[in-house]
Amino acid sequence: MLWLTGAMLVQRWLASRRDWSTRTFYLVALGAGGFLFCFILFGTFVGARTLYDDHADKLLASIPAWAFLIYLFTDIFIAFGQALGDLYLASDMQQLLAMPLRTSSIVVAKFVGGVVQNEVYVVAFLVPFVVGFLAGTRAPWWSYPLCLIGVIVFPAMLYAALSCVTILTLRYVPSRHAKEFLWLLGAIVPTTFWVLSFSGIAKASGDLSTLRLPDAPQWLPSTWVGSLVVSSSLGAAAASAMWLALLLFVTLVACPTGLAFISLAFEEGWTDAVTVERRSVSERVHAMRQERPWLALLRKDLFVLLRTPQLWFSHITSLGFVGYLLVGHRAGTSLLPLTEQLAMVQMGFVAVLAGLNPGMTAISLEHGAAWMLKAMPFRPIDILRAKLAGTLGQTVFVVAFGAAALAYGYGLHLFNTTMLLLFALLMAACSVCCGLVFDTTFPAFQWDNPNAINRGVRMIIPFLSGVVVLMFCAALLGSMRVLVHGERAVVIGVALSALTVAWVAHRTLQRALRNIALLEI
Amino acid sequence: MAVPLIEVESLTKRFGATVAVNQVSFSVAAGEIFGFLGPNGAGKTTTIKMLTGLARPTSGRARLSGFDVVRQPLQAKRTFGYVPDEPQVYGKLTAIEFLNFVGDVFEMKPERKARRIDELLRRFGLDADAGNLLGGYSHGMKQKVMLCAALLHDPKIYFLDEPTVGLDPRSAKLLKGILRDIADAGGAIMMSTHIMEIAQALCDRIAILDRGRIVALGTVQELQALQGRQSLEDIFLALTGTTGERDLTSIM
Repeated sequence: MLWLTGAMLVQRWLASRRDWSTRTFYLVALGAGGFLFCFILFGTFVGARTLYDDHADKLLASIPAWAFLIYLFTDIFIAFGQALGDLYLASDMQQLLAMPLRTSSIVVAKFVGGVVQNEVYVVAFLVPFVVGFLAGTRAPWWSYPLCLIGVIVFPAMLYAALSCVTILTLRYVPSRHAKEFLWLLGAIVPTTFWVLSFSGIAKASGDLSTLRLPDAPQWLPSTWVGSLVVSSSLGAAAASAMWLALLLFVTLVACPTGLAFISLAFEEGWTDAVTVERRSVSERVHAMRQERPWLALLRKDLFVLLRTPQLWFSHITSLGFVGYLLVGHRAGTSLLPLTEQLAMVQMGFVAVLAGLNPGMTAISLEHGAAWMLKAMPFRPIDILRAKLAGTLGQTVFVVAFGAAALAYGYGLHLFNTTMLLLFALLMAACSVCCGLVFDTTFPAFQWDNPNAINRGVRMIIPFLSGVVVLMFCAALLGSMRVLVHGERAVVIGVALSALTVAWVAHRTLQRALRNIALLEI
Repeated sequence: MAVPLIEVESLTKRFGATVAVNQVSFSVAAGEIFGFLGPNGAGKTTTIKMLTGLARPTSGRARLSGFDVVRQPLQAKRTFGYVPDEPQVYGKLTAIEFLNFVGDVFEMKPERKARRIDELLRRFGLDADAGNLLGGYSHGMKQKVMLCAALLHDPKIYFLDEPTVGLDPRSAKLLKGILRDIADAGGAIMMSTHIMEIAQALCDRIAILDRGRIVALGTVQELQALQGRQSLEDIFLALTGTTGERDLTSIM
């Protein structure tokens, strides 16, 4: 069991390294990850220290539970896909099951691999948050190892539980529908919970010392980790030990039970579960229209998008983020007043998120069939045009919907709504272009499920590229607000942002076109 | 002398220090089935990839129906049909949608496209499953869909990389008949295979590739005369046998 687990971890590490054609870019991606780590660490430290010095104790005590809750809900999206990819849809699973290995060993090895994959996100996002929070609140030295252990075991518990839900679903729901069912479950449950939790909150007011976020549900593991961090920051050793003990106890009970259940499910029959139901012939050949090559490619991508719910993930997440903004601003403070420019930057960030996944998977989604792009009579411009139209089209649809919802929720009038929408569309275009140039430079045609394309450090570079342009445009909007005032400031800010995005789009698309022409399969 | 539809001159492909294909030259005339044999890793697939535009040659040149594959890629690609070694298709499309996509890429007129799709699906026994997603097809069925896609626009040149792998005996026989018909009608077919019986029975000329170089080229009779052996399998083993294979034989 240990050997198999170790061997699969090494394989996974090698695969993630070999996704990169050059060592330089691998190091750049790691550097970008390091930057993100430092950014969260420093940002959390400064924020926590400011609140600590202002005696905002209640707010400080309520922040960690909600921060971990956000992580938990994001991870629910990811973990379903990961459990499917690692255990059920993995290309090596049938081979492993046919080898003289115990099923439980395979499941444990896969599980550890999945947890380690999740720990990458923990190290990138949660560890700097926890360390920054503890340092900001002048926590005692012993709180650091205690909290880090709690944070590290957190994904194992989550992954075990969600893997069980996945396997249970596959036992009762036909495999071709199970994926859709799980993705919708992963989208609907957290979003509904989040909106319901905040919908009853009145707009918060008063000074910082009385301000606090509502209580997070006590039965969620994310609240336990939050409580561990808060009690540690206050120096309450007994309470901290109790929360850590609870986390460890549940992990040590949940993981083996879950893994035993999953092993049993695989031992009972793999073959039955992978059978795909037949469909009746309903389409006729003679009803076909003729399309130009790039439109044929676009139509093909549209079919793939509509029939692959995993690809809706980033759009649902983006719209979920709009939901966070809508309920979040009701609990906002006067620390950062909600100006039209701030609303535009918020929506710009949503647009960057929305465009990230479609752009940076545009070429990689071709998977093993990528050879067709090169062996068939497509011009590179045909491929780029189809990919740009497809990715931009879906992103614009989502961003327009999100911007309209945000403008309505914030009560913006027509002019500001139009500007908000324009700015969001610009950022979406920028994000798509950054993703496209990245994907044409580092296409990843080998994957088990579409969401595996962006795992690990691969997503950091295009994400940061989009964020850098957003920050630059935000600075333009802010400067114009100071220099010009009023509606003219917004118009000039958006016009300058449009010029910036046009320059970025021109450079990235030119590069993407060259990459497509030089692509070798 | 028939017109050469495939012309390859000193084609070379390097991956860093590794020379995958080394100064390969041959031509395939109209009406000819050209067998491309070689052990695993000999460079067969890389050669086909360079001819089909999937990989750029490091040096040398290749022309398909007179069009240079590097300088006139679009014109060259319109002249051939290709079946890769693995039937990689779009799993989220039905067979009809996939073939419709291929027909549009080759800018076929709707009536001709519909007629050809209907005809090919029936011929390969796929009509009953034509509305199902390709992701649910077996390996052999995917291979048949790939063959339909290659045949759809009626090209003059065919590149087939292990075309019979995964096919049931009936479909394999059907394919062999179709290939013969295509050649008789003036098409040029270049196919790689590991099945010596198929190569011996079907191919007009054969090239044997080993470690990136062509080590023998000619008709089966010419190779037999040259090597003094009767079966193509013996000729192949004599030309490509390695120490490793001899060790394996002694172990067996």
